[in-house]
Amino acid sequence: MKRVLVYIDEEAVEDSLALLEIGRRLYGEQGFCAYALAAGGGSGEAGRRFDYVFRARSGALPNFEAAALARCIAALHQAYGFDVIVFPATHWGRMVAPRAAARLRAGLVADVTAVGSEGGEIWMARPAFSGRLLATVVCRGGGPVMLSVRPRVFTQRAPALKSAEFIDIDVPDTPAPGVRLIERREKPAVRDIRESAVLVAGGGGIARDFPLLERLAQALHGLVAASRQAVDLGSAPRAIQVGQSGKIVSPRLYVAIGISGASPHLAGIRNAEYVIAVNPDRQAPIGSLADIVVEGDGRAFVEGLLERLEAPRTQSHGGRG
Amino acid sequence: MKILCLLKPVPDVDQLRYDRARNVLVREQARLILNPEDATAAATALEIKRAVPDTYLETVSMAPRGARPHLEDLARRGVDQVTLISDLRYAGSDTWATSRVLARYLETRDYDCVFCGTHTLDGGTGQVPAQLAELLGLPVMVGITALAELDPRAGQAVVEVDGERALLRFAVALPAVLGFQYNPDRKLPYLRYADLNRDVSQQVVVLGNNALGLAETELGLRGSLTQVRRIEVDALETKTPLRLRADQEGLDTVCHWLEQKGFVQP
Repeated sequence: MKRVLVYIDEEAVEDSLALLEIGRRLYGEQGFCAYALAAGGGSGEAGRRFDYVFRARSGALPNFEAAALARCIAALHQAYGFDVIVFPATHWGRMVAPRAAARLRAGLVADVTAVGSEGGEIWMARPAFSGRLLATVVCRGGGPVMLSVRPRVFTQRAPALKSAEFIDIDVPDTPAPGVRLIERREKPAVRDIRESAVLVAGGGGIARDFPLLERLAQALHGLVAASRQAVDLGSAPRAIQVGQSGKIVSPRLYVAIGISGASPHLAGIRNAEYVIAVNPDRQAPIGSLADIVVEGDGRAFVEGLLERLEAPRTQSHGGRG
Repeated sequence: MKILCLLKPVPDVDQLRYDRARNVLVREQARLILNPEDATAAATALEIKRAVPDTYLETVSMAPRGARPHLEDLARRGVDQVTLISDLRYAGSDTWATSRVLARYLETRDYDCVFCGTHTLDGGTGQVPAQLAELLGLPVMVGITALAELDPRAGQAVVEVDGERALLRFAVALPAVLGFQYNPDRKLPYLRYADLNRDVSQQVVVLGNNALGLAETELGLRGSLTQVRRIEVDALETKTPLRLRADQEGLDTVCHWLEQKGFVQP
């Protein structure tokens, strides 16, 4: 039986649990034993989906304790011999995974979008050069195969309910704690743009008119997203930034207003089913991914579209009959 | 105070062209730029040096020798030493092999803090800062949006991180690896006209594996723990869009399309 360990980031428990899908794709539903390391929290939820859940005996070990967590993972691997170790490519997962891989002298592949095996060897596909290429990568050496996956990239089938065995582990000694949390200010809860079927995204070209985009998003039952330029200009919070340094989204419809489409942005929307791009520049790179390119002023387009969408249902749209 | 700043010259990804006939990525015509998040880190270090003039700032880059002229400008901008680690045998290094090389060099240096960017534009794995920290036995924090305090005498830095759910403030024990997030307001200073052609050769150090002494098996592809098997360009496939103008006809067409696809009710 193969052994798959999933690292649970307590700030993204559901996204971490969903990484069980990697084991299912590689080994089939019954072909692997599922282990979760929930040292910082989330062990209760993990207990309903995994076979074994590791908890820290001495109390919660928070995700920013990357050095200690890496030692835990290395010690667990020595004891259990995992075939695959999966991390969510969250802020914290990205800090723990490389440290653990370095301790284990194991290959680590980041931001994996597809996995499979060929002749007994596991391959992983990941975008490179801001999504302009897709590289198929394998791990070498004798260590476990280690990978990180961005949240929501793999859609999980309805998970089988399990009742895990909980195992309390001792955290290996580390040098003096190097990182100490001194303040935490919660951000207002916002809906995650990755969960929305429709996104109306604004860029630098419409940075002053985000309230208009909110209205359009409402009319289309979607959410507002933003390019990095709009975020840098202070028009939108970083939580709704799309792209390589923001979130990778896969909506049914992505309406890009005033976004030229630099490669890092395009890397974030390649999974969108439909794209409408509105830009004064007909040659803007966003057009390469678009189903419809509207050449013109973003604000005028949004106002015109709102006029039509917010009009009473009985009123017909001129020209269409 | 001594700050080492890791800087990676990367090709401007928007200038990359794909040669479909040869199935290769044409990088030659793409100009080199400093990885934007690394530039934020360097700009932060230069601001510290301006405020605390006895700060010693060294940049460290692992890159082909062709990057040298590009990196020399850093000395003209106020960096004390520009180090270029370059060796043909390093070609094909993955993040692990890269981290090994950087760690070997850093072991020879004396420093209070290592600055870098969180991600790079090309590979984009963001793995080097944490791998390097593990190899050197240092604490690491990435995704830093602000450096509130850097006090080597107290042995700590205070940094801010814009997390998914909360704004966080951490005290990080020095020496540490600090990875910065891109900040458009923190740019490298402009080159002064008088400095444009200033000879900085005394401030540039170029070294290769003869100086670092890593075993051949630790270098490049051989020393890497991951290997690229295939490169596909499916991701580059483009659509042929319907092109409209933002006039009445264009808006009507978009509305009709939205109805057809079920995004709005007719």
